[in-house]
Amino acid sequence: MEALLIKVEKRNDVSPSIYFLTPVLAIFLTLIGGAIIFYVLGFNPIEALKFFFITPISDLYGLSELLVKATPLCLIAIGLSFCFKSNNWNIGAEGQLIFGGIVGGGVALLFYGHEGFYVLPIIILSGAIGGMIFAMIPAILKTYFNTNEILVSLMLVYVAKLLLDYLVVGPWSNPEGFNFPETRQFSESARMPILFDGLRIHAGIFITLATVFLSWLILYKTYLGFQIKVSGLSLKTAKYAGYKGKTMIIIVFVISGACAGLAGVGEITGPIGQLHRNISPDYGFTAIIVAFLGRLNPVGIIFASLVVALTYLGAETAQIFLQVPKYTGQVFQGMILFFLLGSDYLLFFKIKFLGLRKNEL
Amino acid sequence: MNTKLIISKISKIYPGCIANDKVSLEFGSGKIYALLGENGAGKSTLVKILSGVVKPDEGEVFLNNENIKLNSPLDAKKNNIGMVFQHFNLFETLSVFENLSIDSSKKNEELRLLVNDILKKYNFKIDLDIPVLNLSAGQKQKVEIIRCLIRNPKVLIMDEPTSVLTEQETEDLFVSLKKFSKEGILIIYITHKLKEVLSLCDEVAVMRKGKVVSVSNTKEERIESLANKMVGENLSSVKKKINNFKNSEEILKISNLNFTSDDPYETNLINLNFSLKKGECLGIAGISGNGQSELFQILSGEIITENTSIMFRQKEISKLNPRERREYLMAFSPEDRISQAAVPELKIYENVALNNFKSSNFFEKGLVNEKKIKEHSKKILSNFSVNTDNVELKSQFLSGGNLQKLIIGRELITSPELLVCFNPTWGLDVGAINYIHETLININEQGKSSIVISTDNDELLRLSDRICVIYKGKLSKIMDANTVTPEKLGVLMGGGSID
Repeated sequence: MEALLIKVEKRNDVSPSIYFLTPVLAIFLTLIGGAIIFYVLGFNPIEALKFFFITPISDLYGLSELLVKATPLCLIAIGLSFCFKSNNWNIGAEGQLIFGGIVGGGVALLFYGHEGFYVLPIIILSGAIGGMIFAMIPAILKTYFNTNEILVSLMLVYVAKLLLDYLVVGPWSNPEGFNFPETRQFSESARMPILFDGLRIHAGIFITLATVFLSWLILYKTYLGFQIKVSGLSLKTAKYAGYKGKTMIIIVFVISGACAGLAGVGEITGPIGQLHRNISPDYGFTAIIVAFLGRLNPVGIIFASLVVALTYLGAETAQIFLQVPKYTGQVFQGMILFFLLGSDYLLFFKIKFLGLRKNEL
Repeated sequence: MNTKLIISKISKIYPGCIANDKVSLEFGSGKIYALLGENGAGKSTLVKILSGVVKPDEGEVFLNNENIKLNSPLDAKKNNIGMVFQHFNLFETLSVFENLSIDSSKKNEELRLLVNDILKKYNFKIDLDIPVLNLSAGQKQKVEIIRCLIRNPKVLIMDEPTSVLTEQETEDLFVSLKKFSKEGILIIYITHKLKEVLSLCDEVAVMRKGKVVSVSNTKEERIESLANKMVGENLSSVKKKINNFKNSEEILKISNLNFTSDDPYETNLINLNFSLKKGECLGIAGISGNGQSELFQILSGEIITENTSIMFRQKEISKLNPRERREYLMAFSPEDRISQAAVPELKIYENVALNNFKSSNFFEKGLVNEKKIKEHSKKILSNFSVNTDNVELKSQFLSGGNLQKLIIGRELITSPELLVCFNPTWGLDVGAINYIHETLININEQGKSSIVISTDNDELLRLSDRICVIYKGKLSKIMDANTVTPEKLGVLMGGGSID
């Protein structure tokens, strides 16, 4: 038997500029990977990539759509960065988004027919609270029963999905809706104001931007942010410093749940305007990629959300012009994560080849 | 089968520490050799060199007069050197047999016959087809041993094999090891447990600070003599002044401290009671792994135990976490300065902010007061002569000595009434050690108290007013440091008793 001896060594100091440049490299590699896939499928790769990444944002409507998609992605990813920075693996933002949507949507239906400036803020607030409550389930189970938050938060996604299914088919379905699985259209006061006539971009983007700013403040300027940073680097040190580990787990889950809930309520009061089965094209899962692509940094996440939002749009254009399934978008999202993790590994570790050697066993 | 293993002038130097300093040893088959030494004495490095994990900077290894090059674990296997590590290298979810077959080139049927022979010969009772996770620690170790035996080893190295075994399993292991030895396998037994050396081994080599300090026949040794060789008996000339604390008030009283751990690698603490006066230094000696780390964590509040009473300045603090205890003017310096007391990736001033309490004003209304923290950090850097004035420097660029000065400085600059430290000078150079010792003596003179948990007896005799020994989670009686001799400490550290 012959064995190639490979040794992996940790690199000691990684310069910050390269640390923030590797996501760009990952995106570049994704484009190359995408080109190869399109070529194998028999398309002209340059043309295909153009359809995927240029055509969708070549007009004002496209740019507005980009922001419509980036708004929830950025918001959820910002929330998740709190969890991920402190070593809490909340994988269930999709569920928290849906549950926030359910609660916010329920309140919106409650206010059906009411008009007034107070309606929308109440709906938004209840959506955030819904997301929070749903995120607290894995947090409390983790702190008091030592369960694994990855499993619990992920499984709760399906609970939320099925609950939404039940509500839109059963009790909340539109009485005049010919049994379509959807609720009534929310009244005008329950809708996010549209920013420009004819475009779908809505006021939710301001919520996202405010959250980004607030998160930056919390993460870099407050004691809570400092505790999150220390816990993420060394749990032993956090314990030694006397940080309240349990409280912190709950706080980061609450923040990230609230963000996901806001994203959910932003979708249903914004572009959708009612509850139906598919209020989110997996924004909650895709936001995990956004969070890491943005290096868990609020500004980085803004850029990352735009890039990833583009894959959603690109997939739709590609479906129309190239007749490829829209799931190509997910292929691109997967490739981004793959190349990011790959380049990160090479960034943090050196691989040494020690040469071939005969292995006599 | 006659095997002769000679280690000749092996040296291994790590940055800032000489792990092995011209180590020469000779071993012959038919005997069980003990390699005895404290944590950090260099025995692990030596064993890693023998098993090919670490390459020595200098020196040679001869097996049966042949100079062998051990560049990788494969070379060790090729030369029939087998190794059982303290932490098992087994796949928990695979079956015993699958674990054995992974690194064997034999056919499965052949291997099964061989393994069954070994099981029968040594009377091991292990089901080969159940997953490893269902085995006890002792059985897992047997799997590791079988894995070595499959290769007909000439040399078998056991690294701290009894740390996770029960008494019965330990006895079984000794029976097996004696059998192997009779069959001509050369056995090197690494441990810091003195009783095991005397009951199992024929010869013992003691290592201290990277050097072999003695090689002798175990029949000529007693527990005390070995303990002294292990931790060093040369008292340093500087002895601290006698403090006038005898009539001062009691500052700390611990009663009924019990701790039972779920983790087999941890030590349970059994009924610890002690107290401390203002200005006094209590030294806690012991061979590492006898409960020191658990005791430190209970004193610091990282572990909260039931029913224990910790009275500090007339307040019950046993249920408080470390940050809350700091409010009562306690300070803590843990053993692990790199991954616990400080975070290497954080900047100096951020590490300083770890010791935060209300009056420090590092965080006002929840916001970071960076200016305040940096000013405070600069003060620590200059007062405790840390070799930099750049508070933005990442801590990973500080040497061990400077990092420890920073940590001790961070803990002391707030004038705490009690400092608890665990191996405060472990792995430091002489200059840094002296500096830290002077600092610790200084705080006693200022009427502040300290508890020093240390595996270095020189250090304890230099710093302490009273000394006790921790052994298997129990504390010995507390003695006046002036009446303590290294011999007495040796007896207590080996589990013996004195009047």
